[in-house]
Amino acid sequence: MASDAQVPAKRFINLERLVRPALAVLVAAFVLWRLWDVVMVQKAYGGDTWVRFAISGLILGGVYAVIALGYTLVYGILFMINFAHGDVMMLGAFAGYFTLEAFKSTGVLDASLFSGILAVVAAFAVGMGSASLIAVNLERIAYRPLRTAPRLVPLISAIGASLVLQNAAQLMFGAARHTYANPAILDRNAGWQVMISGKPVLVSYTGVLTFVMSILLMVGLYVLVQRTKIGKAMRAVAEDKQAAALMGIDVNRVISSTFVISGALAGAAGVMWGLHMGIIYHYVGFLPGIKAFTAAVLGGIGNIPGAMLGGIALGVMEALGPAVLGLPFQLKDVLAFSILVLVLIFRPTGLLGEVLARKKA
Amino acid sequence: MTVRSSLRAGLSVGLIAILMVLIGITQLSGQLVRGWFGLPSATPGAWLILLLMAGWAGSRAYKQAKATSWGAALAAGAVPGAAAGLLLGALMWGIGSLLANGTDLRQWLAQLSPANVELLTLGLPPLASALVILAALTAAGAAGAALSFASERGQWGAAWAARRQGLGAKVTSVPAIEKFLARPNARQIVLIAGLALLLLLPLGVGQYWNYIIGTIGIYVILGLGLNIIVGMAGLLNLGYGAFFAIGAYTVAILTAPEPHNIGMSYWLALPIAVVVAAIAGILLGIPVLRMRGDYLAIVTLGFAEIIRILLRSDVMTGFTGGPRGIRSVGGPELLGIDLNNETFFTYFILVGIVLAAFVIYRLQNSRVGRAWMAIREDEDVAEAMGVNILTYKLLALAIGVGFAGFGGAIFAKYTAVMKPIGTPITMAPAVPYMLVKMKGRIP
Repeated sequence: MASDAQVPAKRFINLERLVRPALAVLVAAFVLWRLWDVVMVQKAYGGDTWVRFAISGLILGGVYAVIALGYTLVYGILFMINFAHGDVMMLGAFAGYFTLEAFKSTGVLDASLFSGILAVVAAFAVGMGSASLIAVNLERIAYRPLRTAPRLVPLISAIGASLVLQNAAQLMFGAARHTYANPAILDRNAGWQVMISGKPVLVSYTGVLTFVMSILLMVGLYVLVQRTKIGKAMRAVAEDKQAAALMGIDVNRVISSTFVISGALAGAAGVMWGLHMGIIYHYVGFLPGIKAFTAAVLGGIGNIPGAMLGGIALGVMEALGPAVLGLPFQLKDVLAFSILVLVLIFRPTGLLGEVLARKKA
Repeated sequence: MTVRSSLRAGLSVGLIAILMVLIGITQLSGQLVRGWFGLPSATPGAWLILLLMAGWAGSRAYKQAKATSWGAALAAGAVPGAAAGLLLGALMWGIGSLLANGTDLRQWLAQLSPANVELLTLGLPPLASALVILAALTAAGAAGAALSFASERGQWGAAWAARRQGLGAKVTSVPAIEKFLARPNARQIVLIAGLALLLLLPLGVGQYWNYIIGTIGIYVILGLGLNIIVGMAGLLNLGYGAFFAIGAYTVAILTAPEPHNIGMSYWLALPIAVVVAAIAGILLGIPVLRMRGDYLAIVTLGFAEIIRILLRSDVMTGFTGGPRGIRSVGGPELLGIDLNNETFFTYFILVGIVLAAFVIYRLQNSRVGRAWMAIREDEDVAEAMGVNILTYKLLALAIGVGFAGFGGAIFAKYTAVMKPIGTPITMAPAVPYMLVKMKGRIP
């Protein structure tokens, strides 16, 4: 019987050994051919356009990275994909939106430079705060009762939570698109003009804010996890929950604070998305959420620097990819998911490898 | 301590009440109650649901406090009611004053039309309406506590159970029913009668209900297929809808006059659709099946997104009709008889369900089924026991998505127009997920 099962297995592995390099060669050849075609033969885009793509990719990548950090934090500790993370981001974006609307309707928004800055700071604070609250309660209601259940169960619960949040948001805020009320200092069309190969390229203020903010959040999170007491506790819980509990760490409290942090990151990402992209609606969290998860996998899930790297890499690839490959820009989402599939085929542990030991939870 | 916990319960009930007002559930319940009882306005229904919630919170607080006197019970119930009332009252005060200023709240919060707000404010000025809400919810909390106190005193639960038993005895004591139930094969007779009724149902209920039954049937087929993948083999496939779409599109492309004019017979296209879906499943499965569960979930989700975006984009217009979709999908005919009506399709789907259930039933207790369950329970142990994990996982995926392709093939003719947006790619995965609970069992 044993030999019975062995024979097909061996044949299959051989086939697989053949398939992977062949696929790698094919993908590489395709990319090189398209690159050569677009850059050398067609000369489709000038230098300024390439810079524009790269800038938008970096900004988008910053947002993805911040969302991906939330995924990676939760995954590192609970070994669970928090599917509702993107929707927490959406609700954070709405909280920021209402804050800005409140400032606008009282007329303070554009009263002075200071009040504009205050409004943006308040939008970030409210967005991050309410997203944290939602994330914590989500964990209490949807995930904590299932912590000892088989792995698929909390995942399905997370999908359910995501649907609930989406539909609740649709009912509450309506299906219409809402336009973010940016203060005049952060107008979406304003920015610095940079001359690239004789043509002006706009570096918008919101883009710079988004990128700087995301870098700050990443550094802050890294310091928090590596240098503070709660960060130490989080790493201990990620390593081994039972041992951590025996060492006197309140595991539930650590998990709650993980969700506070991941919710705050999602809220910040939501407000950045709103300020930079300008339009939010109840479904706005879905695609960034999945792409950010892609980014987390790309960098190696459970790994904080990996999530940052993966997010920015994914954003840049998504912005440059269709141009490099000469594909229609409609397909940039397809590109992002193809990257995910390819990464999982060739390097399942992600770019920076999986820091955590592979264990069956 | 008990005051604190009942305060907390009251605050969360208040938050839920606010959420319900914002989502529009109060308004919905108002309309339902108005419809059922023929009331002149929706106000009682809207209030009913809020008062019931406050009452429930009060009754729970009473049980926690273990009050032994009327006064203590009322006080214990009033605390969470008041807390909830305070929150909701504050909200209504704010909303009321904003509306009184002439602000249109609907641009931000879609459910807060003036008419809906009036359901709760009763047309009173903002502060007064807030106080009314506070008083009403406090009273409801106290009433809830009082009710459970009284029921515990008088042992209403036991009395109620006794009465129900008496009613049941009355029904079975009718001679004919008693005689029938005494027969040894009573269960089978009821079952067969029910099945026969179900089989005859499509003939008598007309087009619309046949369409509904058929849609349910397609979901059942999808659920059966997904049950193999998720329930038996334990692979979380979130891209199940994509295979549904592949099956549907295969049939549509092969039978429709546009865009390729292949004009194949439906009966030939159906198995091809199943095979194409299964092959797509295997192609996707080979690289990703060695990953752990969550990676598989996200890759399949990504795959579904790829398929959906591809179908909706202009890139494949020449092949799949792009955003316009494919019209006039060919239908089945047998011996020259056109079979394109809802009644036939309902039977067709029923046959499909029986077939699928039979296949799964046979698989479940076979060597294959046992291997799947071993993989689901523990991959490493299964491998150590000589189960070829990859092959069996691929098999599960192929068979499961084959059913999705089958469902899609039926669906293609069922709606007759294949449109990327109409394809319930996003919807299809959600519904069979309800079936996942029946892990490994044939529903």
